[in-house]
Amino acid sequence: MSRVFALLWLAVVIVAGAYLAWRVDHGLAFRTDLMALLPREEQDPGFDRATGMVSRALSQRLVLLVGHTNRARARAAAAELTRRLESSGLAEITTAGLDEDHLHKLGALYFPYRSGLLSDDDRRRLQQGKGRELALRALSQAYGFFGLADAQLLRNDPFLLMPPFFSGLPMPLSKLALDDGMLSVSDEGATWVLVAARLTGEPYALDLQRRLTAALDLEGLRTADPGLKLRRLGAVFFAQAGAEEAMGETSTIGILSTLGTVLLILAAYRALAPLGLSLLVIAVGVGTALAASLWAFGELHVGALLFGVSLIGVAVDYSLQYCTEIFAAEAPPAARLRRVFIGIGLGTATTVIGYLTLFLAPFPGLHQIAAFSAVGLVAAWLTVVLWLPRLDHGRRPRHGVGMLELAGSVLSFWQHPRWHRLRLGLLGVAVLLGIAGYGRMQTDDEVRRMQALSPHLVAEQEQIQRLIGAAASSQFFLVQANDDEAALIEEEALAEKLRPLVAAGALAGFQAPAQYVPSAVRQHDNRRLVAEQLAPLLAEHAARLGLAEPPPVADQDGPALTLAEVAKRNGALPFLSLLVLAPGLHVVTLDGVARPETVEAAADGLAGVRFVDPARQFSLLLGKYRLRAAGLLALSALLMAPLLAWRYGIAEGMRVMLPPALAVSLAPALRALGGAPFTFFDAMALVLVLSIGVDYAVFCAETSEERKRVTMLAVALAACTALMSFGLLALSRVAAVHAFGATMLVGILLCFLLAPMARRKE
Amino acid sequence: MRRFLLALLCLFPLATQAAGPNGVLETGQVLRGRFVQQRHLKGFSAPLRSEGRFVLAPGKGLIWRAETPFAVTTVITAAGLVQNVGETETIRLPSARLPFLARLYDMLGGALAGDWRALAGDFEVTRSGDDEAWRVVLSPRRRDDAGIPFRSIIAKGARYVETVDIAKADGDSEDLAFLDQALSAGPLSADEARALGTLAK
Repeated sequence: MSRVFALLWLAVVIVAGAYLAWRVDHGLAFRTDLMALLPREEQDPGFDRATGMVSRALSQRLVLLVGHTNRARARAAAAELTRRLESSGLAEITTAGLDEDHLHKLGALYFPYRSGLLSDDDRRRLQQGKGRELALRALSQAYGFFGLADAQLLRNDPFLLMPPFFSGLPMPLSKLALDDGMLSVSDEGATWVLVAARLTGEPYALDLQRRLTAALDLEGLRTADPGLKLRRLGAVFFAQAGAEEAMGETSTIGILSTLGTVLLILAAYRALAPLGLSLLVIAVGVGTALAASLWAFGELHVGALLFGVSLIGVAVDYSLQYCTEIFAAEAPPAARLRRVFIGIGLGTATTVIGYLTLFLAPFPGLHQIAAFSAVGLVAAWLTVVLWLPRLDHGRRPRHGVGMLELAGSVLSFWQHPRWHRLRLGLLGVAVLLGIAGYGRMQTDDEVRRMQALSPHLVAEQEQIQRLIGAAASSQFFLVQANDDEAALIEEEALAEKLRPLVAAGALAGFQAPAQYVPSAVRQHDNRRLVAEQLAPLLAEHAARLGLAEPPPVADQDGPALTLAEVAKRNGALPFLSLLVLAPGLHVVTLDGVARPETVEAAADGLAGVRFVDPARQFSLLLGKYRLRAAGLLALSALLMAPLLAWRYGIAEGMRVMLPPALAVSLAPALRALGGAPFTFFDAMALVLVLSIGVDYAVFCAETSEERKRVTMLAVALAACTALMSFGLLALSRVAAVHAFGATMLVGILLCFLLAPMARRKE
Repeated sequence: MRRFLLALLCLFPLATQAAGPNGVLETGQVLRGRFVQQRHLKGFSAPLRSEGRFVLAPGKGLIWRAETPFAVTTVITAAGLVQNVGETETIRLPSARLPFLARLYDMLGGALAGDWRALAGDFEVTRSGDDEAWRVVLSPRRRDDAGIPFRSIIAKGARYVETVDIAKADGDSEDLAFLDQALSAGPLSADEARALGTLAK
């Protein structure tokens, strides 16, 4: 009968393997952005969609700054990078629109509406009745040093109101100027030329990152001309550096932990078979889980994969339980399996229950983890139960006495009456440490601290920001109103409050649609101001200029420039498409936000304006998830309880739950004593600690008096392998991974040391 | 933008100043004089005429002080350009925002030191006459260069530059005359030093 099941299982594994091979052959789709793992709350779908669009557009921006002491070389390199980006098809060049032709388009767009367009400063002067200052300024430009004003402009705009409006248009890159068709800035003898682009794809896609790097070939440019300086800015570069760092680290830690595990198993068993059997169990578990998850979800998040694979590390415990049984009384493989059958069965069942609770939470990312883990664990268990006895021809080894003694000593500490007082004392100390730890515990959900940003890129970013003026911030305002006109009026009110903040340094600048196209109300008011303040001066002004036929002062009733009109004139204001998402749905982007709270307060009292800080929202989300993960932890413990109560009765069942419960509650307290904050990633680690702890406790509870030292040895080996696979993650430089690893380290140690408590005393 | 481009023109009298065979100034010397500037603009009944005084201090900058019909002071240094009407600042252009302004300042520095290579890269320089009456014609090498919106600059002079005529692409033109020029080795006056200092970073 069991032979039939073994063959059936073989068939399933072969099908899964074939499916996996087919998928790998077609290219696996992995997602890398954290956002995809933890989706937004669907409380305000319209708002979420809008903020999602803006965040996405901002994350697709990329900026390259090319510097050289030789201007021509800097320009040539910038042109070459522009060409490479264009021909790669990965990005659209956004610097291209800033040539002379573009300026003509801009002029043609605004010129018919000029009477309603005033710079903020000029408007204020007219409001203050200082029309004469504007007239004098125009005269000084006409008569001043080589006449800074162009004659044609003077004829149409004798008070020269257009140039200040143009120079007041918020260009996002404030320190750059057009130098023969290229946006440039000179700094300490070097010319820096800007290349800006917008990715056509996802900056978090590994494939796009690789293709972009190959297309740009910055290394090649640097090698060809060592004097060339290249600086990068953009989410895609940070994402790529992060992915590379994570992969590099994962492979280092992975190699270390694999080597350690292999050596440990070889040293413990002094035979190759247990190693082979354990690897088989892991391979079947991971392979089947990967195939099932890809089949169910279509794609996998890298985070889910990593968490899931590490969880499979738990599966090796079952094979170790079986393999270690060889140290007990001589028996054929099937009999050895029978001795551990209930233990590993219960262990698998409780762990799977633990993971399935993740399904109760509405987070797709956690669903992937839950499905991956549950399938993997069941597959590993089936492999141990159905295949291992058939593949195992081992005999009782001669060595192992010392190891069993050592493992037994942990057991006897918890069992022997001699240590009773010390046990009580230690438990007391643990409780005190726990209380102290919880007293000092702090939580941290700041997403910026969870990621390890490449220090190189941060330095490049700072240099770019210094050279070109503040670069775009990830924060922005979202303006929602009934129509464009209402939104523009809101923005004008917002701009009124933001301007003093710019002067005070709370932010470096902002771009609102209303700055490019004032509301019709504002345009009419501007015309009124011009008519009231400047029209009376016109005759005298024209006479001083010697202007024969002064143009008529603005007619009051002509149409105002509208966003709809701008949209018809394609290409005059290309960046407006980022700012105007839909009629009445606008974005105000921000540069160099230094004091987010102050900037946020500018929206107070403006009904349709909301400050959006994606990183902070994500941090809030992490906080929410941290609490939920803790809730799920409690829930999965509750769900495991009936199974244990069914097997052991209520009192004994509680005894079995005691070690994992203690480990789960003490681990974060001990971490807090070390000064570490409690994060979402610590909470996720505790989910694992719970299932590992229950496994160990069940193994200890299930074992017989004759086999207890063998069981303890198996638990010790399992703990060592777990420490090697998870504990090493504590070495990671990524704060999130470090937190996960460190909590696992402490938790698994506690699980191991406390596990014998689950066993009834002799 | 147009203003920026025109700012380029500002520096040419300095360059042509050096175009005179004897006119290479040395650091520490200060050239002072009067100017008459006339702008001939289409659609205007008469040329816009202004008169005033200038101070040129190599290595430091230029002060261009129109007195009639309005008191307008323009100061140009390596750091940029600033214009004041009375006490009111009307224009300020830092050269960090104008890469070509810095480039021009470099060319100017070269020209003042008698080094024409930088200037010759962008302009055709034709010289004629002798030390007593010379003439220099500058024309852009690239007709379509949007950064240089004039057809030609003609400077004439003897010991110093005496006249500069600028023909612009759109048909407007400007002419300048420099009078009562005097070279001194003395330091700048406190007033002049302060004016040049207003652009310090």
